Amino acid sequence: MNARRFVTKRSEDAPYVRRHKPDYQIVLYMGLLMLLGLVVMYAIGPQRANVLNNVFGTDNYDSMYFFMKQILSLGIAVGVFLIVTLVIPFRLFLRYSGKIVMIGFIASALLLLFGNILHVNEIAQCSLGACRWFNIGPFGLQPAELLKFGVLIFSAGFLGTRAKQGLINDWSRTLAPMSLLVGSALVAIVVIQKDMGTGITLGAMVATMLFIAGLSYRFGFALLGVSLAIGTLFIISAPHRMERVLTYFNGDNHSVDVAGDYHIAHAKMAIGSGGLFGVGIGNSIEATGYLPEAVNDSVFAIMGETFGFVGLIAILAIFTGLLLRLLRISDNLVDMRERIVVGGVFGWLAAHVILNIGAMTGLVPLTGITLPLLSFGGTSMVFIAAALGLAFQLSRYTVFGSKIKDDEYENSQRRRGVGRPRYSSRRRSA
Amino acid sequence: MALRKGSRSKLLAVFVLGMMLLFSVRLFQLQILQHDEYVQRSAAEQIRPLTIPAKRGLIYALDGSTPVPLVINQTVYTMFADPVMVTDPDKIVDVINRVAKDNLQPNPEALLSIKNSRYQILGKKLTRRQAEEIKKENLQGVGFQAVTERVYPEGKLAAQTLGFVNAEGLGQYGIEAQYNDALTGKDGLLKSVTDVSGVPLTIGNRNIHKPAKNGDTIVLTIDRNIQSYTEKALVRGLKKAGATNGSVIVIDPQSGKVMAMANFPTYDPANFGHVKSAAVYNNPIIDEPYEPGSDIKTFTVAVGIDKGVILPNSTYNNQDFIKVDDWVIRNATRGHTGNITMQTALNYSLNTGMVTIVERLGDGSHINLQARNTMYGYFHDRFGFGKLTGIELPNEQPGIVIPPTDVQGNAVRYSNMSFGQGMDLTMVQVASAFSTLVNGGVYYTPTIYGGLLHEDGTFMQAPVKQPKTGIITPKTSKLVHKMIHDARAKFYATEDKAGYDIGGKTGTSQTLENGRYVDNQTVATYLGYGGDTMPRYVIMVQASGKGLNLQGNLHALPIFTDISNWLIDYLKLQPKR
Repeated sequence: MNARRFVTKRSEDAPYVRRHKPDYQIVLYMGLLMLLGLVVMYAIGPQRANVLNNVFGTDNYDSMYFFMKQILSLGIAVGVFLIVTLVIPFRLFLRYSGKIVMIGFIASALLLLFGNILHVNEIAQCSLGACRWFNIGPFGLQPAELLKFGVLIFSAGFLGTRAKQGLINDWSRTLAPMSLLVGSALVAIVVIQKDMGTGITLGAMVATMLFIAGLSYRFGFALLGVSLAIGTLFIISAPHRMERVLTYFNGDNHSVDVAGDYHIAHAKMAIGSGGLFGVGIGNSIEATGYLPEAVNDSVFAIMGETFGFVGLIAILAIFTGLLLRLLRISDNLVDMRERIVVGGVFGWLAAHVILNIGAMTGLVPLTGITLPLLSFGGTSMVFIAAALGLAFQLSRYTVFGSKIKDDEYENSQRRRGVGRPRYSSRRRSA
Repeated sequence: MALRKGSRSKLLAVFVLGMMLLFSVRLFQLQILQHDEYVQRSAAEQIRPLTIPAKRGLIYALDGSTPVPLVINQTVYTMFADPVMVTDPDKIVDVINRVAKDNLQPNPEALLSIKNSRYQILGKKLTRRQAEEIKKENLQGVGFQAVTERVYPEGKLAAQTLGFVNAEGLGQYGIEAQYNDALTGKDGLLKSVTDVSGVPLTIGNRNIHKPAKNGDTIVLTIDRNIQSYTEKALVRGLKKAGATNGSVIVIDPQSGKVMAMANFPTYDPANFGHVKSAAVYNNPIIDEPYEPGSDIKTFTVAVGIDKGVILPNSTYNNQDFIKVDDWVIRNATRGHTGNITMQTALNYSLNTGMVTIVERLGDGSHINLQARNTMYGYFHDRFGFGKLTGIELPNEQPGIVIPPTDVQGNAVRYSNMSFGQGMDLTMVQVASAFSTLVNGGVYYTPTIYGGLLHEDGTFMQAPVKQPKTGIITPKTSKLVHKMIHDARAKFYATEDKAGYDIGGKTGTSQTLENGRYVDNQTVATYLGYGGDTMPRYVIMVQASGKGLNLQGNLHALPIFTDISNWLIDYLKLQPKR
């Protein structure tokens, strides 16, 4: 492989930008979050293991189970992050994005086949008629996350190209195909796998990408309206979703005795009882079985109990830093596909963070989604690491300091005349 | 298409910052402003008071001087099913029939098919091993509950003395009732943060721990071997006599300690519900006063000697009847008329002799107030007849001794009392007072409470109760002791082991039915002692039965003899040379 080509040309037709130092703040925030997640797993893992052993009447879960598994998950996530950052250039992702989407759909179809039709529990992991995972060794693989990642890459390529062509707001050439793609993905995720949370984050991710790509406000509001209508339909059609929304509208008048209120009531009890500085590591009581999904979706509440207001504000700050950093990278990239893909990563992450924390604090209805990098392991973490790896990789090609309109990049000949150092970072040019 | 750089990403940044600000405000509200409220809400759910049940104390008897258990605790398991959760009733029935057939409730198949119930007891009193074996089968919908129950290693031994513990955990009858509070102990309290299934956690400083104080383990004065032999001897003797009811008390005349208390019929405290009548729970020795009959003559003689109105060889003229006011009292044994000694009167159990003694307590020919006062002073005040002895058992009855000041306490009444009729006494009263007659005149309050057994195994004996000396003078006691010995030796010397000091007196008492003495029902009593250089045991035997004429010498005495001869060996008494 031609090293120079690899380094300088991210994709065949991307504008030339000299490679510079990546944005290490991404790694810093990631590392902090992963470390915090690990600390919490270490602290509440024993309680959690105890609860599971009680429930199943076994002693399969030892006190280090969650800690060790989280280390393994983090290892895999870091590995994926490094591979995406160092080994696979974005253009390769772009080239195979269609295939990734296809694999996502095929995996979803296989899940449907093994889970909902053949009921092979050894392969497909189902509960209450919703099959969301494949069992692969000690881990589960969630096709919805793969699909989401595929849609991210594919949409970035597609929308980026259309944006360059100035056809973003063209219904038949841009929006209709996008709607078909996203609609199919949502059918697979929300209707078949009954995973509203992942569906919403996928929707939010695509919406962000469209927004960054320059979707007109007219179409934007129209799409928003249609999505809200369809979303409402989904909520009304499923009693447990309806219950969650009703719980939400109950405000703070929760009772732990009402089944629908139980989860959110305990989340707030955990956060509220944490106070200013929290009860300290290992002293969480809500994690001993009161708060459902303590290591997964509810980890924010457990952290609130453990680290208090100060700790949660710190976590909010880290997430804010990471999200703003992603926006900044997106903003400073010159190629539309790259801008859109990092914007998608931002949307993906932001949707997870806002919906999860909003649910735990009782500000938005409960949807079962994870808090990125903090929640216990799994597919979600691996794909978020991959997405962040992509953003990190692309952070080497940002340009700073000039307000250049999009269309100016279209003619690479013109840009070549401007000269190289102008677009790379000032520090490097010195 | 002229989208300016940063315009839209700034909007997104503002949105993110806005959301984070909203979250921060919300967290401030939850964690700072409403912190106390949420702490309270969590505590209300997380902190649970748990009682640490105190273990009920055990009941021990003695084996010689070593405490041995009569009542212990055992954890057994109640097996229940939640028919709603049951998936494989056939397998459940299979397994439980194989493992715990004898513990099952009738027709478990039917119990399992009661689908509108969530709790059906399938079996009771399963051992730990049985419960574990069934648990291993992983039967869906079957559970166990640990229950502590009383176990009686000696079976029915001393059932009335022990009593039992009812389903509510309350001691009923006997020692279990008398010492219920001490045996129960005091439950501890654990106020603890618990996990969701109620298991206490060691998190935080909100835990309160008051340990349970286990119940005391009580050691009785009852000797297991004496009790056991006495019960067997009683059953044997009653069977031979054809009697249906009987009781025996064995007491140590040198201390008042009860060595055995046996009643028939009896019951199994482990299955206390399986009785025809609750009357078997009672202990007639302390709660069923009766007219003890001629054995009381030993006391009358003692009063006469102690007051100096007779000596064993004092004579009186026996005509086989004697008139008291307008009432004629006759002897049961006839023919020993003429001038005879008081010893002869006691030997042949002659009522006339006893009436004569009471007359001599007065003016010599009438049972006047002075005579009656004297006799009441001895019988009631000194010997404790008609009074509670204070033995450590519930429901003791005082019986009735009518005082001379009462209209009923006339001369006829007191003449009857001199030979054991016309007053209701309990066996424990009579046996305790009888000890006084033969031990030198000291009254020991009868006691069954031997002390406490500490958890480290040390036996702390109960403090000795202050004995009452001078009930009768030692000299009187010596004379009466000899008279009682002679009264037995006259007829039954050959039945006793040679070289020991055995004495006793029969009693055959008429019984009252609806306030009238009836002829067809008598109660047989034997009251005696045994010993070497001094009396070592007092045994009182009573045998009765509805519509049975039972004789003291024929039906009660053999039981005394049986126990007495065995006791001499058991107590390793040294024969006189």
